Amino acid sequence: MLRLVARVREKQTDMSLHTLMFGWEYPPVHCGGLGVACQGIVRGLLHHGAKVTLVLPHDEASEEGATILSPGSLGGEIIIPVPTKLRPYDSWRAYAQRVTEGSEPVDQLYGENLGEEVERYTAVATELTKAVRPDVVHTHDWMTLEAGVRASRHHRMPLVAHVHATELDRTEFRPNAWIMKRELQGLMKADHIISVSGYTKNLLIREYGIPADKITVIHNGTFASEPLMRLDDDGGAHPLVLFLGRLTVQKGVTYFIRAAQSVHRLRPDVRFVVAGEGHLLSQLIQETFERGLSDCMIFAGRVTSEEARKLYSRADCFVMPSVSEPFGLVALEAITHGAPVVLSRQSGVAEVVHNAMLVDFWDTDKMADCILTVLREKPLRSEMRSQSKRILLNHTWYRQAGKILSIYSGLSSNS
Amino acid sequence: MQNKHTSPSVCFYFQVHQPYRLKDLRITDIGQMKPGEYFDQEKNRAIFRKVAEKCYFPTNKLLLELIEQYPDFRVAFSLSGVFIDQCHDFGPDVLESFKALAATGKVEFLAETYYHSLSALFSREEFCQQVERHVDMIEELFGVRPRIFRNTELVYSNEIAEVARLLGFRGILAEGADHLLSGRSPNVLYHPPSFELPREWQQTIAHHRIHSSTTRTIRTLLKNYRLSDDIAFRFSNKTWSGYPLTADTFAEWVRSSGGQSVNLFMDYETFGEHQWADTGIFEFLRALPAEFLKRGIALLTPSQVITRFGRKPCDVFDAHAIVSWADIERDLSAWRSNHLQEAALTGLYALEHAVRESEDPALLDTWRKLQTSDHFYYLSTKYWSDGDVHKYFSPYDSPYEAYRRFSHALEDLRLVLERFTPASRCKTEDGRRKK
Repeated sequence: MLRLVARVREKQTDMSLHTLMFGWEYPPVHCGGLGVACQGIVRGLLHHGAKVTLVLPHDEASEEGATILSPGSLGGEIIIPVPTKLRPYDSWRAYAQRVTEGSEPVDQLYGENLGEEVERYTAVATELTKAVRPDVVHTHDWMTLEAGVRASRHHRMPLVAHVHATELDRTEFRPNAWIMKRELQGLMKADHIISVSGYTKNLLIREYGIPADKITVIHNGTFASEPLMRLDDDGGAHPLVLFLGRLTVQKGVTYFIRAAQSVHRLRPDVRFVVAGEGHLLSQLIQETFERGLSDCMIFAGRVTSEEARKLYSRADCFVMPSVSEPFGLVALEAITHGAPVVLSRQSGVAEVVHNAMLVDFWDTDKMADCILTVLREKPLRSEMRSQSKRILLNHTWYRQAGKILSIYSGLSSNS
Repeated sequence: MQNKHTSPSVCFYFQVHQPYRLKDLRITDIGQMKPGEYFDQEKNRAIFRKVAEKCYFPTNKLLLELIEQYPDFRVAFSLSGVFIDQCHDFGPDVLESFKALAATGKVEFLAETYYHSLSALFSREEFCQQVERHVDMIEELFGVRPRIFRNTELVYSNEIAEVARLLGFRGILAEGADHLLSGRSPNVLYHPPSFELPREWQQTIAHHRIHSSTTRTIRTLLKNYRLSDDIAFRFSNKTWSGYPLTADTFAEWVRSSGGQSVNLFMDYETFGEHQWADTGIFEFLRALPAEFLKRGIALLTPSQVITRFGRKPCDVFDAHAIVSWADIERDLSAWRSNHLQEAALTGLYALEHAVRESEDPALLDTWRKLQTSDHFYYLSTKYWSDGDVHKYFSPYDSPYEAYRRFSHALEDLRLVLERFTPASRCKTEDGRRKK
């Protein structure tokens, strides 16, 4: 620990901005887009010469050039379950119960001890970073917000709150009151907010009452500055339509199953893959069976990054039917691999991925029609692919991190 | 007061057009529809009525007043056939207000392809038929057979000018594109280079001749795009150095622009629709004639411009490649630059033979309504990500959504034509195809 502090101090000598960042998940330990985005931002900032001290609840991550602090480095390990360590066998009943009785979603999403865990993280993380000398404090989502608020107060440096998702997105607008309150309090205390989309910015203004001029939209990015080459485009004997994401209400996977049924009726040759895990799994399997899709629907379970890449490259159409999606990194990954995409209009990534068919998540007839059109029309697939390069080029993490840096600079010069 | 002899005249031409926008068609509709059911008549009616209230009625009324007030006031229109069809469908009152303008004898109506199509690029026979049909309709409605031709979106080439000459037109309109003018003024008449079309083409054209004889020398009127766009696009742009534009200033720009005739060509919807009433566009138009008069600037129709200046020796306007009035490229890229557009256009024109073979008027009309250039404009991805003018003018969410609808319509039409046999034709009495 002493050695670590010394190293951090040493790095204070030159003039580059130093950000003290509180993260929750980070590859290789991550379940969703938050970890990927966090890594993108850290690497992008390092690329621009910024100094990054990253605080994580686990000590399995490493990032060349960045200092990573975790409770492990204090000698006392705390175990914080990552948000999607759910109870998969309970989920169908729990879901039904929540919808009908409005019971607390916090139980399903984070486990029962989450409140305590967040408190512990906050206390340890604040203590851990007292010796750091940052120019700015940067948090990711509500779980790290309070740690950020305390660190910002301690160091007398501005707080930037990065919003990747709100409680409303995660719960289909049936928020857990405790979490939403914490979210709101933290966001109000932040000096500036970065939202991952205009969609999220509007939601923060509308539902949380945050002034518009306090929020800057910086879309998530990608490390691929151009799409990968793709040779086959005839779909083969069995065209593949892909869903990839957590199997939760927010991701709208049930709408995917409904659209699949309409597609199947007209194109029985089409195969559907649902990749990912989550508490809806058993319900989805049941629904697939009831809709007569057992033979054409494959549940791939949790996939590795390599497996995901293979699925994207093989997919003739990628569908993101999210109910409320602050961004939706999977869509960027899909276009990187040449998969034409059908996107929920209720998503932030639609502001960036212009080469997509847009639908309302609930309009499964139209979703099916879009899928069928993509599968039928080669010119449509070609045109969608040809637009990807420009989109990816304009949304690299390096570019996005540059925008974050200018927010830092603006705040530093004000303070 | 300026010397009258140094002032150019002004030639106003306004394009009046509305496309038949497509319904939110579904794959499940394919094979289940009647001809004409592709189009969203509710939406088309709503847009037509909105534009009528904002543009057609107030501007026609204003022009009528100006004609009464200034005996030498002149203006030219081109009304697409599909616009006239929509007048019959949604607004006989709109058509009446154009007839009132025609009755003054001071308004010239131009010829174009009935369906506001790009047929000039795909089928000579279809092109000639559409022009012929348009000319017949204009004559029937307004009592005068048009002598001046303007092709869809000012799509123009030497070849198109030659076809227009052989059809019997005295004049043709084109964009005053810088790269073809090479520093020359757009404010004078030009003529296309003379050359001979293949005999076979000439026969097709002769078959559809609009006037008793071909024209010896056709004249080309070029749009002064700078001054036209000052009104059409920049008028309400507060960041533009010319803002706010007054009639006085504009008339001065026209005068100093020189030449024979400053040709101001634009969409009629500029008045009240693209430039809303609160921008002051109507006050501007109302004030223009007086400012022109002060400077000795006469208002002429395209035919009058040719009559007045056509005998003078003129230069060649050599459009070996196609020019149009769209976007900064002034070429075909707004309608023909991506996979969607090529697939839609080639797919549609590939049906020409089968459509004619069917001899079914409703099918022919549907096929032709799909030829309207707007359908291909909506498919443009050129500036899609920048969210520019294409987005503003599209009724659909995106080019991909536009393609979804269009490709469904095309699929249906294909299917209908495949099913269409002479036997089934005999069984349908009212010209409608059997389901």
